[in-house]
Amino acid sequence: MKTIYTIIICFLLANVTNAQERYLTKNGAVTFFSSAVVEDIKADNNQVLSIIDAGSGKMAIKILMKSFMFKKALMQEHFNENYVESDKFPKATFKGTIVDFESIKITNLETKVEVKGVITIHGINKKIVIPANIIRTEESILVKGEFNLFVADYNIKIPSVVAKNIAKKIKVTFDFNHKPYKK
Amino acid sequence: MKKNKIIIVILIIGIVGVFIAYKMYNKPHVNVADTKSVITLTADKIINDFSSDESKANIMYLDEIISVSGEVYEMNLEKGKGIITLNTKDDFGSVLCHLSDEGTKKMSVLKKGQTISIKGICTGYLLDVILIKCEIIN
Repeated sequence: MKTIYTIIICFLLANVTNAQERYLTKNGAVTFFSSAVVEDIKADNNQVLSIIDAGSGKMAIKILMKSFMFKKALMQEHFNENYVESDKFPKATFKGTIVDFESIKITNLETKVEVKGVITIHGINKKIVIPANIIRTEESILVKGEFNLFVADYNIKIPSVVAKNIAKKIKVTFDFNHKPYKK
Repeated sequence: MKKNKIIIVILIIGIVGVFIAYKMYNKPHVNVADTKSVITLTADKIINDFSSDESKANIMYLDEIISVSGEVYEMNLEKGKGIITLNTKDDFGSVLCHLSDEGTKKMSVLKKGQTISIKGICTGYLLDVILIKCEIIN
């Protein structure tokens, strides 16, 4: 499956006829936050790949699970080894479309949009609608927002011993500053 | 008397246990600068390994401290952190090195096209091979 994604993305990039059409960031930020009785846990990832096709409003995101940085090494270890099983599922992905993307004018104003698509975490696919704010300028497409995920939806098992340490509902924030693609 | 001794022993074991648990809970992150790299290779080699067989490369490189040598293609500063792109022969991919605070300070003396060695933790492959917490070796 991973190789198929890679091939598809490479294929898409290889076929860029109009370079201006595609916007990309290699260092998008995704943060998640769990607020539970015993402790708050936060993790940052600043190596997220996100691509927008400005012609169609299609959006593709790939996230390396091992790139999530926690305050405590032990938390990071548990996250990777026990919960999201990064060795088996090294990436989380999202593929979708920004609704009514063509109606977003090139201004410096923030526009509220919905991004509809499929999110894949821990090998589980889920349809999702993510609210986001977009600022479109000549030079960039900035997409940011936040939404909630439920741990149980992704078949992530949390032992009852630490149930009080990890929230069932995880807040995810994202911030992607896409630039016109070139190499 | 005997009972007291047993209680003291249990107490000591308990205290040691709590101390170890606390130490484990606060276990520090790997210090890249002080740790010897496990694997040393070129930017071309690592991107080749990932683009030809990603799952195999994941097993080999993920979470390991790796020294990569290559030519500086681009240097960026994002949210106060330096990012160095190492050039490769691959059409799309390169090696993206996210620097530590210490590494960011050293970035200013580098020039485009210069060949350098960077040590960091490999987290995987998207379009590029990604290394984080990188230190510039030379």
